[in-house]
Amino acid sequence: MATTTDDKSEQTDTETGLELHRVALYGALLALVGAYLSPLYSGLTTAFKTQEAYRNTSPLQPPIEGVTIDPWLTAGSELAFAMVNSFAMVIPAAVLSALFGSLTAYGLTKVDWRGQVFVLVLFLAAVFIPYQAVLVPLRQFWSMVGLSQVHPRGELVELTITHIAYGIPICTILFRSYYQTLDSELIEAARLDGASLARIYRKIVLPLSLPMFAVTLIYQFTQVWNDFLFALVLLSNRSNYVVTLELNALQGSMATNYSVQMAGAFIAALPTILVYILFGEQFAKGQTL
Amino acid sequence: MADLQLDDVTKVFVEDDGNEITAVDEVSLAIDDGEFLVLVGPSGCGKSTTLRMVAGLETVSDGAIRLDGSVINDAKPAERDIAMVFQSYALYPHMTVRENMSFGLEESTSMPDEEITATVEDAATMLGIDDLLDRKPDDLSGGQQQRVALGRAIVRDPEVFLLDEPLSNLDAKLRAQMRTELQRLQEDLGVATIYVTHDQTEAMTMADKIAILNDGQLQQVGTPLECYHEPANLFVASFIGEPSMNFFDVSRDGETLVHDDFAYDLTPETASELGDHDELVLGIRPEDIELRSTQDDTHSYETFVDVVEPMGNENNVYLTFDADSTETFVATIDGLHHVEEGQSVIAHVPEDAIHIFDRASGTALRNRTLDTQTMPEPQL
Repeated sequence: MATTTDDKSEQTDTETGLELHRVALYGALLALVGAYLSPLYSGLTTAFKTQEAYRNTSPLQPPIEGVTIDPWLTAGSELAFAMVNSFAMVIPAAVLSALFGSLTAYGLTKVDWRGQVFVLVLFLAAVFIPYQAVLVPLRQFWSMVGLSQVHPRGELVELTITHIAYGIPICTILFRSYYQTLDSELIEAARLDGASLARIYRKIVLPLSLPMFAVTLIYQFTQVWNDFLFALVLLSNRSNYVVTLELNALQGSMATNYSVQMAGAFIAALPTILVYILFGEQFAKGQTL
Repeated sequence: MADLQLDDVTKVFVEDDGNEITAVDEVSLAIDDGEFLVLVGPSGCGKSTTLRMVAGLETVSDGAIRLDGSVINDAKPAERDIAMVFQSYALYPHMTVRENMSFGLEESTSMPDEEITATVEDAATMLGIDDLLDRKPDDLSGGQQQRVALGRAIVRDPEVFLLDEPLSNLDAKLRAQMRTELQRLQEDLGVATIYVTHDQTEAMTMADKIAILNDGQLQQVGTPLECYHEPANLFVASFIGEPSMNFFDVSRDGETLVHDDFAYDLTPETASELGDHDELVLGIRPEDIELRSTQDDTHSYETFVDVVEPMGNENNVYLTFDADSTETFVATIDGLHHVEEGQSVIAHVPEDAIHIFDRASGTALRNRTLDTQTMPEPQL
C-alpha cells in the first residue's frame, strides 16, 4: 500500500524525466526481447518453408510464398519412435529420482542418526560432478553389468538407471531445503500418534511435499529429456535412440534440409514446454514455499 | 490410573564440538492421578526438555521416569500411553479435523472404524468443534485449532496429558478464556496433566501444584499459594507474582538491617531466624506495602512517588527514597486511593510480611508469617 502512494507522488514530481526514462527502458527491453526471440522466430519460419523458399528468402522473412507443413510431417514420422523411447526413459527417471531424493532428504532432516553430515556432504559433492567426468567409468560399468546383452532394450534401462542415480543428489538437496522448513512438531506429533517412520513419510511428509515434487519433476524432466551426452555414450542400437540422438541423426541423414531439422527441434522441445504448463502452478507454489 | 514419577532425571546435550550442556539437572517430581502440575520457568530453563523426555521425544541421560511404577525411559513415544499438545498445535495441514483427530487411533490402536468415528465425534462435541470436523486446520481460527489439538489428545484417552505452552499463540482475551476451559476439562477428565509455561499467571491460576525450574534445576514444588507466600529462594520469590516482589540488598547489624537508604529494625525472634548470615536481601511484596500519611512507627519511611500505573482496581505506585533517585520499588494500593506523581508519602513495611534471603545462596531464611485462616485450606 505504502509503495503505491510513494510511486504516485514521485510520478507527479518528475513526470517528464520519468517518461523519457520509461521510453528508453522499454525500448531497450524490446530490443533484448527481439534479440532473444530471433533465433526461435527464424527457426519457426524456416520450419514452414519449402526447400526452395528456404533458399530464396531471408530466415527472418515470414513464410508467405512456398508455405508448407511437410517438414513437420517428415520430422514427426522420423522422430516418432525416438519420442516414445524418450518418454519411456524420462518418466520413470524423473519420478524415481524425485521419489528417492525425497526419501533421502526425509532421512537427512527428520530422522536422527549419526554421520548425517558426512552423507549430506557426499550428496552435495555429487551435485557438482560434471557429466564428462563420469562418461568412461559409466560406460565401463554398464559393460560389466551387461544389461544390453540380456535384452535388446537393456541399453535404455541402463540410461534410465543412470539418470535416476545422477538426479538423486540434486533432488535430495532440493527436498532437504524444503523439509528443513517443515515443522518438526508435526513429525513428533505423528510419532506420539504411533506412526512408524515409513508411515510418517507416507501419511504426513509425502502429501505435504507435493509442491516440491512439481518442482523436482519439472527440473528432472527437462534435464533428462534434453540430455545428449549420456545417451550418446550408452545407446548404440538405433532402435533405442532417444529424441536428442535421433535429432542429431536427422541432421546427418538430411544434410541440407534445414526445414525438417527446425521442425524436428521444435517437436523435440515440445514435451518440456508442456510439462511446464502442466505443473507450472504447482512449480510457482513450490518455489515460494 | 496413573501416577507419574521423575527420579533425578537429567538431560545432557552434547554439542558438535564436544561441549556438554546440562539442560535438566536431577529433577525429581511426582504427579498423582488427576493432578494438574504446572512446570514453569523462564525460557531455556529446561521445562520443555523435561516434558519432551516424558513424552519420549528426547532420550533420558540419567535418572528414571516411571509411570505406574514401571520405568518407561526406553519406551517409544507411542507405547507410553501419553498424549501431548504442542505449542504450534502441530495439526496435519493436509488432513481435515476429523482425520487429524482419528489419525492417532488409526495408527496405534486396532479400534474398528465405527468406534473411532464415535470417539472422535464425542470428543468434538465435548470441545464444541463438532461442526468443524470436515474443515482443514488452515480454515480455523487460533482458538479452534487449539481445540482440535486438545481433541486429538483427548481421543487417545491417555494416562497423562502433556501440554507445551498451549496458550501462548492465542490473544490475551482468548487465553484467559481457554485457561478456565482447560482447567474445567482437566477436572472433568481427571487425567494427570503436566503443563509447561513461562507465564506465572497461568501457573498460579491453573495448577494444583507448581514446579519452578531455573537453569535446569528444580527450585521449588508446591501449591501456588505456597510458592507465592513461602518461596524457597530468591528466584522463586522474584518469578512468582506480578508485579514482582521488591528486593533490597541489606547488611545485618545486630537486630537491624542496614540499606543505603534506610535501616530496618527486626524483633529478636525474626533476627534469630537469620543464623549467622550477614549479607542479606530483604523482600516485600508490593501489595504488602501500605501507604500512609503520617510516620508513626519504626517501619515507616518517607518516600516520593515516581510513577503511578492505574490498573483500575488497583494502582501500581513506583516509589523512591530520594526525590532525584531513579531506583524505584513498587507498592500496589487500592485503585480508588489517589496519589500524585512527585508527592511525598510514608511507606509502611510491616514486619510480618517481609522475606529475608541469604544474598550469596539466595535461600530463604525467613518467609512472611501468615494467619492460619489465610492459608491454602479450602474454605466453603
